[in-house]
Amino acid sequence: MTTLSIRLDAVGVHFSGRTGPGDLKGWLAERVRGDGRDRSGAYVIKALDDVSLAIAEGERVGLIGLNGAGKTTLLKVMSGIYPPTAGTARTTGHVCPMFEFATGFEMNQTGYDNIRIRGMLLGMTRDEIERKLPEIAAFTELGKFLDYPVKTYSAGMFIRLAFAVSTSVNPEILLIDEVMGAGDIRFADRAKRRMLEFMEQGKILVFSSHSMEMLMSFCSRTIWLEAGRIAMDGPTDAVIAAYRASEQRHAAA
Amino acid sequence: MSAVDRQLLADIGRSLALSRVWLFLGRQDLRARFRRTFIGPLWILINLGLFVAGGGLVYGALLGQPLAEFLPHLTAGLVIWGFLSATVTEACHTFVVAEGYIKQFVFPKQVYLFRTLVSSTVVLLIGLSALFVLLLVLGVLAPLGWLCALPGLALLLAAGLAHVSLFAYLGARFRDLPHALGGVLQVLFFVTPIIYPAELLRARGVDFVYRLNPLYYLIEGVRHPVLDGTFAGLDVYAAGALYVVVVFLLAYLTARRLDRTLVYLL
Repeated sequence: MTTLSIRLDAVGVHFSGRTGPGDLKGWLAERVRGDGRDRSGAYVIKALDDVSLAIAEGERVGLIGLNGAGKTTLLKVMSGIYPPTAGTARTTGHVCPMFEFATGFEMNQTGYDNIRIRGMLLGMTRDEIERKLPEIAAFTELGKFLDYPVKTYSAGMFIRLAFAVSTSVNPEILLIDEVMGAGDIRFADRAKRRMLEFMEQGKILVFSSHSMEMLMSFCSRTIWLEAGRIAMDGPTDAVIAAYRASEQRHAAA
Repeated sequence: MSAVDRQLLADIGRSLALSRVWLFLGRQDLRARFRRTFIGPLWILINLGLFVAGGGLVYGALLGQPLAEFLPHLTAGLVIWGFLSATVTEACHTFVVAEGYIKQFVFPKQVYLFRTLVSSTVVLLIGLSALFVLLLVLGVLAPLGWLCALPGLALLLAAGLAHVSLFAYLGARFRDLPHALGGVLQVLFFVTPIIYPAELLRARGVDFVYRLNPLYYLIEGVRHPVLDGTFAGLDVYAAGALYVVVVFLLAYLTARRLDRTLVYLL
């Protein structure tokens, strides 16, 4: 068996786009006005810039940073969903992404069917899904609702279902994007315990969180992202201390 | 072979192995199409029947064709054309529709190409079964002809996959493309011998109209064996195969450029 690893060399992810009208109407208007001013509103966002890191088997790494610092983008590069626009990224091992719980539901099919669908999309085999189905169903505590089409579900019920399926796969490389705090009080507590067990199973774990407590208890190493660059990469307590200090300075200023 | 080629070929292999995923997604697409309808997939047959009945009567009279010959010809043409045009128009939306999946799950993107082909193939098979029944009822069924149609059918499906592969990438990049192709297909429908037989063009000395049209050969590869009970001419298979190879080549070159950055185009 090959050893699992994640390796990023000088990775950049630059999104480009335009806010102006990119159609015939806009083009004509440009010709008519003819003052040569650029109204295309072209922009480039450097979601990640020159990020290099290596994560070895057995490591648990936390990601911190403000909103928009590039945490999600970094996780998506590690998973292979976003190919870097600069540099190289290499991930060896089966990736289990936990990014969002909103898409991938078939509204007119029952809860049971949606468990099967989601399980399959996460890479489980048919037998594996059928074997785990009773356990997953029990964990959702949705009871008879599992026999109804999921379009009758509330937002919280969707989360229960998706969470239960996602945490039932056997992960090699587990990439998690701030998905804690799901569901009502009763569920949140059980979800937390299940999540902890699940995270224990990952042979590589990378997760982004705003909960310093979670990071401290889980990760020996933490990476602090700031405006798409690595601000600091090291032992969790040192990185968190520096991050807090920086935020306090910012608040005082 | 460069790293890009290796990656792309590996992805294609992995996608084929993920058949349970694309078969499932394709089946969902079909279900979604007829959701909450009372008549369901029977609509495919009803619409085909209406077109054949209406078109058959009018054009059969206009072109002076005996109905027992003309109806099967028209049905076969329409069924095969429906498949070809679906693989072009639906292809443009392949990746756009799958955006939610592409951004959340780690599948090689060719999975979505196969998915698009699933529903068009099922519709094709339903149409061909209807043709089978029609031939049986008219008493002109040639069972051996259906065996002879297999190579042509393989070419047709290959062409479908080639279309989907090419236009899925181009459609994600150029959002004007589906609109443009809609118009082009409309024209192609009329210049391809679907309603009228190719002999009419030959009789008027304008046979270049279909001889230069690759879609004619793809249609003929299935239509001829099924209606006449023998293999189509060698030129039909050769031209069909050439077209498939060329489109696949174009698709591969396009995928080579766009596959990696596709997610940013959505």
